[in-house]
Amino acid sequence: EIHMATVSAPTNIACIKYWGKASIPLNTPINSSLSVTLDQDDLRAVTTASASLGFQSDRLWLNGIEEEGASTSKRFRACVDRMLELAGDKIDDKSGSVLVAKSEWKEMRVHISSYNTFPTAAGLASSAAGYAALVYALAKLFCAKESYKGQFTAIARQGSGSACRSLYGGFVAWRMGSNPAIDGSDSIAQQVADENHWPQIRAVILVVSDSKKDTSSTAGMSTSVQTSELLKHRAHNVVPKRMADIEKAIAEKDFDAFGRITMMDSNQFHATCLDTYPPIFYMNHVSKLIVRMVHVYNDWAGGTIRAAYTFDAGPNAVLYTLDQYQTELCALMLHYFPSTDHTNYINNNDMAAQARDYQLDEGLIQAVDNIGIIPQTGDVKNIYCTKAGPGPQTLGMEHANIDIHTGFNTYKPH
Amino acid sequence: LVVACFAVLLNLLAFSRTSMSAPKVHYVTVRTGPNIAVVKYWGKRDAGPLNLACNASISLTMDNTDICAQTTVATSASFQEDRLWLNGTEEKVADSKRISGVLAQVRQRCKDPAVAAQHIHIVSRNSFPTAAGLASSAAGFAALTVAVAKLLGVQDSYPGELTTIARMGSGSACRSLSGGLVKWHLGEKDDGTDSIATQEAPESHWPIDMTILVANAAKKHTSSTSGMQNSIKTSALMAHRVKFCVDDRIERLTKAFLERDFNTFGQITMQDSNQFHAICLDSFPPIFYMNDVSKQVCRLVAAINEVAGEIIAAYTFDAGPNAVVFSEPKNTPRVRALFKHFLSLPASGSEGEVSADEIAAVAKAFGFEPLAPGQVQKTYLTQVGSGPLVLDHTSGEGDKRLTSLLDPETGLPAEEFSLQLPEPAAE
Repeated sequence: EIHMATVSAPTNIACIKYWGKASIPLNTPINSSLSVTLDQDDLRAVTTASASLGFQSDRLWLNGIEEEGASTSKRFRACVDRMLELAGDKIDDKSGSVLVAKSEWKEMRVHISSYNTFPTAAGLASSAAGYAALVYALAKLFCAKESYKGQFTAIARQGSGSACRSLYGGFVAWRMGSNPAIDGSDSIAQQVADENHWPQIRAVILVVSDSKKDTSSTAGMSTSVQTSELLKHRAHNVVPKRMADIEKAIAEKDFDAFGRITMMDSNQFHATCLDTYPPIFYMNHVSKLIVRMVHVYNDWAGGTIRAAYTFDAGPNAVLYTLDQYQTELCALMLHYFPSTDHTNYINNNDMAAQARDYQLDEGLIQAVDNIGIIPQTGDVKNIYCTKAGPGPQTLGMEHANIDIHTGFNTYKPH
Repeated sequence: LVVACFAVLLNLLAFSRTSMSAPKVHYVTVRTGPNIAVVKYWGKRDAGPLNLACNASISLTMDNTDICAQTTVATSASFQEDRLWLNGTEEKVADSKRISGVLAQVRQRCKDPAVAAQHIHIVSRNSFPTAAGLASSAAGFAALTVAVAKLLGVQDSYPGELTTIARMGSGSACRSLSGGLVKWHLGEKDDGTDSIATQEAPESHWPIDMTILVANAAKKHTSSTSGMQNSIKTSALMAHRVKFCVDDRIERLTKAFLERDFNTFGQITMQDSNQFHAICLDSFPPIFYMNDVSKQVCRLVAAINEVAGEIIAAYTFDAGPNAVVFSEPKNTPRVRALFKHFLSLPASGSEGEVSADEIAAVAKAFGFEPLAPGQVQKTYLTQVGSGPLVLDHTSGEGDKRLTSLLDPETGLPAEEFSLQLPEPAAE
């Protein structure tokens, strides 16, 4: 018999950045971080986890392709083995009898198949969604229970640090823990506010073209920890207060404060990358144009913040805004980053139509023109418009990526 | 007839007396090189005109035969007002507080009140583009200070006094009053009298070549003055740099220079340039001085060093996208040959041979295709050089190679000079 569970999990974009590990084996951070979980209607990882005594070995398919050596990969093993430890009895709903005793799960091998609804090459934190989906799927499959709140997030963290934040919806903090160099048990994610707390929050994501693959986060942050003097200061002296300030801004729905802190933290993260030896450059020319445009936009709006940029370890821009400004912001981006191919340039057809029809203020266009920015096709590959969303969701059998009879992957990318 | 002759004689005598006592023009020419900081100055600790820094800094002075500010200053009782010509255009002295300030500072130290009261004409030219991060202010104010001091007979009444005047014109100008490795001391006093520049090592101690890569000669977006004050106000990382990073780096870098340890010198230089730009990025709004070409230069230098197995080239960037790359003369031909290949530069005559294997190895480490020609717009080749060259034209004392930019007959810019100088700077 093949036991199965299928889930979807969100990606998240940090407003206070995680960069630097306190312990590499434990995958704990040198500072806390905070993110917004994005809506799975727009971006998600869909994962089926299956287990059977009939499976020969652990196998993993990602976006339809089997990952060789997955069964021995440290991250994969951490997630599977730790979740096995929390496995519970699988009980029949109707009869109440034990279908699988908790001790039996570890006798079975697992077949996992996962895909993202957004391209990995887009640099949109697919690891976070993927490992959150894996852990959540395994939790459902093994009927696992946390022995303390947040324990599942500690396991997801070992798959990929920021995956822990994708186990909750809305605004999520990853608490660094009391002793991260030695003990990861309290290095967990915590929901600060759910996705309904501040329903006006929106995100406009600009996927920027880039000629070269970036320095991997894992390698990059290790070099930063070793060589950047400013990073230590950031972790000890700057982030703790920023975390407190941004949590207050979220509680009070103060977009001005939220936006300011978000932009400053993105810049500081990239500053520590530059202060690394050898230096790491994640933002490119287009990223910088977007930064300057956002400052002009906010200044034109009278100094209040309508849009706040943030960049992860890559050139893509995530612009946070409020629902009342989302169309204007999208229209502004469309004006300076027009598409050559209109279909699929913006993920949401309604937003695409509204943005195209929107009449941008002449003064705003003047102001952006004045800093020397001219419309340029090809700088931005495509745009996602989304909002805050919930944590992982259980999906029905019809969404399964694995054949219930054969145990093999059924997902084919199209 | 006798009365007429006598009248003519009297008139002739009167005329010759006038021409004999025509006010003389005393003029001095100074040439200075810019300097390039290897541990950066960024941030003033005072709001006023003293230009006191938040931290100490050290620099290397560029050889002024290749890249320079050249200034002729003249004074005469016949001059009606202070006048100034910068790169061929007349400017109003009163419009520049810094220039008026330097003049006032030197005048108040002049021992002859009659001379101090005379007006001054200043003609100055840079051999490189202004306001593009090639330290034009520094060279210019250093030249002005030294020239006016020489003109008015003003000397240091304590070590470094003249450097404090140059500093008041433009902070880093103080470092161009000496050659070689120069330190601008932080100073403790509020009046800035101890915020002086001193030579830590002469240019003869360690020949270092410089390859300057101009990535964009256009005017920069954010001036240094406003940029650095923005950083002080908004960067949460800046205070840490000032308190914990700078002094240690100055100490280690000076030691490395004295020991001729390029590996250490190079690494600290690159790290400090990157940290300065990191502070700019950590400001709000963020300041981006480096552009995509700048970043490619960083990556290329890292690749060259990786293949060499040690640091043989070290970059630094000021408040602009242009790179100054240091190398020891034994490595310069190789470094420049690799730059020519990967940055698509025209031949300069100073490139050495480099094997196909080495090019392949660097290409692999670099990971990018060579840049399109023109991405690096211009290259200047120079080396660590001396302090100011001075010629007092009137007494004949000093470096006789210097040509006056001013015509002493007219008191105005020399016509022929505007045709001769090959690189009149564009504003």
